[in-house]
Amino acid sequence: MAIRDITLGQYYPAESAVHRLDPRTKILGTLVFLVSLFLVKNFTGFAFAALCLAAVVKVSGIPFKFMSRGLKPIIFLIVLTVAINMFSIPGTVIWSWWKLTLTVEGVQRAVFMAVRLIMLIFGSSLLTLTTKPIQLTDGMEAYLAPLSKIGVPSHEIAMMLSIALRFIPTLLEETDKIMKAQTARGADFESGKLRERARALVPLLVPLFVSAFRIAGDLAMAMEARCYHGGEGRTRMNGMRFRRGDLIAALMLAFFVAATLIIRNLPVY
Amino acid sequence: MTKNIAKTAIIAALYAALTLLLAPISYGTMQIRVSEALCVLALFTPAAVPGLTLGCLLANLIGPFGIHDVIFGTLATLIGVGGIWLLRKKPYAAPLCNVISNGLIVGFELWYFFGLEDHFWLAAAWVALGELIACYVLGVPLMKFLEKNHTKIGL
Repeated sequence: MAIRDITLGQYYPAESAVHRLDPRTKILGTLVFLVSLFLVKNFTGFAFAALCLAAVVKVSGIPFKFMSRGLKPIIFLIVLTVAINMFSIPGTVIWSWWKLTLTVEGVQRAVFMAVRLIMLIFGSSLLTLTTKPIQLTDGMEAYLAPLSKIGVPSHEIAMMLSIALRFIPTLLEETDKIMKAQTARGADFESGKLRERARALVPLLVPLFVSAFRIAGDLAMAMEARCYHGGEGRTRMNGMRFRRGDLIAALMLAFFVAATLIIRNLPVY
Repeated sequence: MTKNIAKTAIIAALYAALTLLLAPISYGTMQIRVSEALCVLALFTPAAVPGLTLGCLLANLIGPFGIHDVIFGTLATLIGVGGIWLLRKKPYAAPLCNVISNGLIVGFELWYFFGLEDHFWLAAAWVALGELIACYVLGVPLMKFLEKNHTKIGL
């Protein structure tokens, strides 16, 4: 649980055409890619999507090894998915023992699901790997902006998100400090049953609350002292701008969706 | 207003920081998100509703599960924590809102994206169980502390 192991976000700093894209393009593009993965009906479609994804990864300059690290936390889920699918689909029996029956259809479906899952994870981690968290929240603010007409406080949401991003490392440090202080006083966070371990966190959370709300009070005072008065008329230091790369990316995305839709209806395996 | 923005933002940061710190058990089906215990904050301040929702959004954005988790997880937290605020008069029943909302919505997410076919209730129950542990085993002692001290710590 050492604090130094945590890098905030998964941003992989590099100079690439993908990194330079406007965050709005990347957010929309990722969503479209993920939705289109659910339109794929055959393995040819997946092969095409994988090829396109691999090309984008190559352009982004992120090493494949680094990308595949994103799969680690979900390996268990993939294995579980494969196992459940393999044995729960009726069809031509390959092997059977007790209540377990392995079928051709089951194996096909398990592979299909696993491939889709891996592509989903790769597709969306490409977004977080090539975009800084602050750019992501800026992009989200841009998409939320039209909603302010129906009363959604989009500026406030974006403001709170950027403050929160700024304070996550501060609070992580604070938590670490409190943990060490409580350990020195005999608190034990690392052993015991689940219930005991959960209870052990109370002496951590209480001082953390106190300190966090003190920070919030100071922050509000500092903001007011600098005449913060909401979103109207505020300007940004680094504005977002659509460039030529964004147009090219949008065209490629449109081609990808069209091709996916065509492959979906082809009589191929 | 500024005070509310700051408070909400810090609650969001608190949620995200705790989720990240305890990352290995915070994501996926086997999740026990300790940070979910913070849902009891919604019994004391309405700022916790947007705060925890945005915190969940950030935690999922930074986390390994990708954009669909951002959408479904955030929605689940918004509904759950909103329910807690509405039921704040019944502090022991209120956290159930969060358990049910997360169980159903995150359960649905896992079921749909992982193709678990007719095992929807299994996924939902599993998520709800983790949520139940976080909200009650850790949430209730926290609630008791906050009941006595929430004005003192500026909540």
